[in-house]
Formats: sequence, structure tokens, C-alpha cells
Amino acid sequence: MIIPRALYPFALVALSLWFDASMAQDTAEEGRALFESHQCWQCHGYEGQGGGAGVRITPMLYPFEAFSQLVRHTNLMPAYSPNVLSDENLRLIWEFVRSIPEPPALEDIPELNLE
Amino acid sequence: MKSEDKSNPDTVQKEDAGDGVSRRDFLSSATAAGLAAASLGTSEKALTQEFAQTRVAALAPPSAMQQSMEDDTPAGYSSEEAQEYFVKNPGSDFMVDILKHLGFDYITTNPGSSFRGIHESIVNYGGNQAPELIEASHEEIATAMNHGYYKVTGRPLAMLAHGTVGLQHAAMAVYNAWCDRAPMVILAGNHLDVQDRRPGVEWSHSAQDCIRVVRDYIKWDDNPVSLPHFAESMARAYKIAMTPPMGPVAITLDGHLQEMEVGDQQLMMPAMTPTQPPSGDWAAVREAADWLVEAENPVIVVDLMSHDQEGMERLIALAEALQAPVVNQYGRTNFPNNHHLSQGASVIAQADLILGLELYDTWGTINSLRDRVHKDELRKARPDARVIDIGTKELFWRSNYQSFQRYYAADLSISGDAQTTLPVLTEAVQSAMSRSRRSSNGEREERWRAAHLRAREQAVDAARYAWNASPVSTARLYAELWNVVKDRDWALVSDDNQQSRWARRLWPIDKHYQWIGRSGGAGLGYGAPSALGAALAHRPEGRLAINVQRDGDMMYVPGTFWTAAHHGIPMLTVTHDNQGYHQEFMHLQRMSARRQRGIDGSSWIGNELRNPDIDLAKIVEGMGVWSEGPYTDPKDVGPAIARALDVVDSGEPAFVHVRTQPR
Repeated sequence: MIIPRALYPFALVALSLWFDASMAQDTAEEGRALFESHQCWQCHGYEGQGGGAGVRITPMLYPFEAFSQLVRHTNLMPAYSPNVLSDENLRLIWEFVRSIPEPPALEDIPELNLE
Repeated sequence: MKSEDKSNPDTVQKEDAGDGVSRRDFLSSATAAGLAAASLGTSEKALTQEFAQTRVAALAPPSAMQQSMEDDTPAGYSSEEAQEYFVKNPGSDFMVDILKHLGFDYITTNPGSSFRGIHESIVNYGGNQAPELIEASHEEIATAMNHGYYKVTGRPLAMLAHGTVGLQHAAMAVYNAWCDRAPMVILAGNHLDVQDRRPGVEWSHSAQDCIRVVRDYIKWDDNPVSLPHFAESMARAYKIAMTPPMGPVAITLDGHLQEMEVGDQQLMMPAMTPTQPPSGDWAAVREAADWLVEAENPVIVVDLMSHDQEGMERLIALAEALQAPVVNQYGRTNFPNNHHLSQGASVIAQADLILGLELYDTWGTINSLRDRVHKDELRKARPDARVIDIGTKELFWRSNYQSFQRYYAADLSISGDAQTTLPVLTEAVQSAMSRSRRSSNGEREERWRAAHLRAREQAVDAARYAWNASPVSTARLYAELWNVVKDRDWALVSDDNQQSRWARRLWPIDKHYQWIGRSGGAGLGYGAPSALGAALAHRPEGRLAINVQRDGDMMYVPGTFWTAAHHGIPMLTVTHDNQGYHQEFMHLQRMSARRQRGIDGSSWIGNELRNPDIDLAKIVEGMGVWSEGPYTDPKDVGPAIARALDVVDSGEPAFVHVRTQPR
């Protein structure tokens, strides 16, 4: 396919957006793998939904710095030091948690109309 | 032997049938079912009546053949020969009379030769009715069934254990019952007399002190050496087990006593009177009432309190009189979770006065311990909050096992059964309330209604998360279940604690029988059989019993499902199969993080129930239970439950295998 010279700027933007999205997806996938191998899901669930053993972590409202502080210097969960979970990997986990899509709205779940 | 005393309706004589006084006549006398109800101040007249009828039906006159066997020397035998070969009137028949007299509905067992005498008497002499034998493939199952049955009916069952080996198998379930204050009567076969033991196995199955293996966690035991001794000890055992704080008791059944010829001995049925439960000291209760009325923010925390629906009603009366929030720790169904005063544990932090009712762990209610290298204590309650503790825990504990929890010096500690004490406390509260205090109730009610509504909305909202996840979220599991069962008379016969407490958060639980609390000792192998015992109790009521079954628990006692199929006990089971011992994952994770060795994948080691994956549906199918699954797609769960319900409606157990999120 030949792109007219006049459209070069648009093509570059599109390519860049696609690349960013693709990178973000790769990052999230990598983060998911780390989320699973480091067993975050044991307490927080595979979708970060939380429960009796750990709090819900989605939607992720904290910036990375605050998230890191909670994981490293915690009152409840085991403290994960950089020796077992690097900053880089922790950031990937954070990226994954941020990428978890919103669940369906209540009105779209008839089973939760419990009255 | 005592002579017959017909003037006492509770005194029953056992004589040869030929003497004109049927030994079955005692059935019209005292009923222990009534005792169980009366001792707790409940009105279970209908229940008592029903039991009396059941017993009468169970004791139809013996058949002509039975009569002949009992009375006559069989043709072709000399009387000396007959004495060698036959027993006309075995001791274990009298033991069955006692079981009937005490009103046991069922007797659970895994069979054993040390009680072959009473086994035969239950089946043939007693007609296998009231008590009816319930067969289990393990004593842990038999014992835990009794635990679940009591939680629903308020009545104890008996469990027949095969001496040393049977009691050792039963021990874990007995410990759970002890921690959970669940009464039951354990009957352990044994051979005391060495001349009476057959060579070999009978020796390794006998002991000098048979009950010793469980003595640390039962209320009382005895080793009767005669039938009158047995009768007296059984009556005492029943009363001790059923007097709060309740708990298991044990009696040995000597092999010789079971199999001996009673002959013309006149045996007495002991009279039974209910023991009134202990109530809190009046002056102390009045002081507690004053403190409650004076407090700005009183909070009621309740755990192992309600013996029955009456207990719930009494707590509602107290809470409404004060408009004080109630935090239910769910050892029992103490308070309706859809009542506006039902609140979460966070309200404890706001309280200036905490009233604890039958708390299993008072210290842990007020404090927490951070699980770090140095385990530091944190007070959850306000520093100035006063604590009133009403319960029977000081009447209960033994030394060895540490289930009594950390010591806590309450500001006012009252020994007495909390359910029994509540009416007096509520009356004292009503009397102590000033007009201005009473008028503040409107504002309090409004505040707690708003908080209750908020918590409810948050719970439903939280259930949305991971709604479409695979494996299935535990919230979705309970929501799907609810949509199938909501129009039924249902009862949850399992604890939802490991499923993020979704039943308590989503389902309205406002009847005592709808919830059976927890195991007590947190020993695995309780869940499935206690659920089945509860389902057995619900069967005559036609209630739908729902068991959410954990995989780890089920692997201890899979034979439970054979018992369900064998005895036709309808129970809807849906699994919470997270393919591992999930609690231990987290402990391993914590240790690895603390030691900075990382947990990259290694937390499965020693904790998993996969590789190979376990097909729980196939296991129960192999034992005659209808089953489907395993399902991992949440869309499959609702329809599968609906199909299972059809099976349960036909009077059979059904099982849906669902693989789930961890919690």
C-alpha cells in the first residue's frame, strides 16, 4: 500500500498510537505473569477483586509510588522487598492491575438484583 | 436391684416379657427431647410431641418369632445346650432401652466388633428406629454429622465408636465439637475383662482407659461396670452434655455387659429432669444494664450464644431497647443480618462500651496481633472503652489444649449462659433508661439504618468484581446459588468464611436454622460431614440444605457423600474448589517474603491439590451421587445448579463441581 506523502504525519501518529497500545498490552501481559508467579492473586484474586484474605485492588487509584510504598512497607500483607520483587517488576504488576477492565455495571447483572 | 416403682412415671422396669410387664412400656414416660428444649427455656412442645410419637411407632410389640426366641428354648436343644448357644435377654437390649428413653433420633457409626452386641440390639430389638443407625465410612464423618445435627435441632445424637481405633479416628471431630460447644454422646465399645477378649485383634482394640484419648476435650466420661451403672451414667452424661456450656461426653460400652444374659434382673430406667442453665448474677446484670444505658456508643458483640430462634429474639429485644449495633461473629446465627442493627466489626473501634456475649475470643475481639517478625499487639477498641463479658467460658476449659484464647480482664465479667441471662438484662436496661435516653433511640435508629444500607450497597457492588472471571469468583457462586434457592425454605449447612463471607454479605439470614456456624477447632474434615448431619436434620422439615464444599476439606472425608447417597439425604453441594490448601499458600508466601527468598511459583509446593487435577464430581459419582462438572466458566454454574436442584427435590443428594477463585 502506498501512502500519499500528504498523509505521512497522520500515518506516523497512527503507527505511534498502535505501537503504544501494543506496548501497553505487552506490559500488562508481562505484569499479569508476574502477578501470578508472585502469588498476588492468592489474596487479591486473579482479577484483583479481593475478598476475605486481601483487599480489592481494582480499580487501581494509587500512583506507582504509593502502590510501591504499600507493598514494601505494609501493615497487613507480607512485605515484598526489592530483593524478591524489583521496582521494575513491581511497576509491571502495577501496570497490569491498572489494565484490569471495569466489571459490568450492577444494572447489567440481574443475578445481583437480590431483593 | 431396685424394685419396680410404678408410681413414678419416669421409672421404668425391664423384665422378661413373659411376666406381663412389657419392657417397652417405658416409652410413655419422660422424653429427653423435651428435656433438651426445656433446659434452654424454649417452647418445643410440637417437637417433643413428635418425638414421643416417633418412639411409640419405633417400639411396636415384638413379632411372634422374636417373642418365641426370647421366651422359649428352641426345639431340639436341651436347656443346658440353649444356655451355651443362646441369649434370651442380652444386656445391650437394655442399653437400647436407655437410648430410646433419652430420645436419640439417630446413632451414627462405623461398625466394629467391640459393640456388636448393641449393634444387633439396635437393629433387631429396637427395630432400627429412634435411634436409627446412620452408617459412615469413617468415625470422623460419624462424629461430625452429630455436630451438624445438633446445630440445627438443638438435640444431641449418639455415636458408636469401635474402642481404641474408632475413638482415635473420631478424635479430630470430637475436638471440633468441644471447641464449638456442641453436645453429643460418644459410646465406645471396649472389653475390660481379659478372660472375655478373643485372642488377637480384640486385645489391640481394648484399653484399660478407653476414653483417655479424647478426655482432654470432652466434658465428662464414665466406664460403667454394670447395667444399672450404665443407665445412671447415661442419664448423667446426657444432662452434663446438654447443660451450657455444652459439649461432648463419652461412655464406654463394655463388651461383656452388652452380650451377657440379663436373666431376671430388674433394671431401672433413671428419671430424667432438665438442668436449668446457669444465669448471670442479678446484681452484676443490673450493673451491666446501668453501664449499657449510660454509654454513648454501646456495641454488642456476639459469638457462640444462640441455642435456637429464641436466642435471636432475645438479642433483638436487647439491641432494639438500646438501639445498639450488633456485631455477629457467627459462631451461631445470633442476629438477623438484614436487621438495621446488624453491623460490621469496624463499629467496635467507635464503642465506649462493648458487651460481649459468649465470645470465643474476647482478647481477639478487642485487640489484634500483627503477624510480623515481632508480633506487636494493637488495641482495636478505644483505650477508654469498657468491656462487659457475659458467658460460660470460665465454666468450660481444661488445661492442655489452648483453645481458651488469650486472657482478657473484662471490666465486668459475668458467668452465665448469655441466652438465659438476656431477658433479665433487657428488663434491667428498660428499667434503667431515662426518658431522654429513650428519646435518643430515634436518632440512633436512623444512623444505624443508614450505615446498614451503606454496607449492604457496598457488598452488592463488591460482588460485581471478577463477575465474569474464570475460574469462577466466589461472589458469583453465591449469587448464582441465591437465584436458584431464594424462593425455597433454605438452610446453608456450611461456613462461608473461606469464601469471603459472601453468604453473610449477600443472603438474608434471619432464621436460626439457616446457618450452622463454624467448626470450632478449625480441623479439616468437618465441613462435609457436619453439612450432611445438618441436612439430615432438615430432611423431615423439607428444607433445602445447601453445602458449599471446599476441596481440601472434602479430600479428608470423601466417604461423606456415600453416606448421603446410602441414606437418601437430600443436600445440594456446590464446590469451592481452589485446587489447594489456600490458607497455607499464604503462610508460605509470608515466610518467603519475610526471609526475602521470594515466592516465584514455589508456593504450590506442599499446598496444591492439582497435578493431577482432582475430579471431585467423578469421586462422588462413584459413590452413587448425581454430579456435574468440573465447571470453570461462570455461565455454566447457574444452569447446573438448577439441574442439581431437581435431583435434590426428588430426595437425593446432588453435587456440582465448580473450580473457583481462591477466596
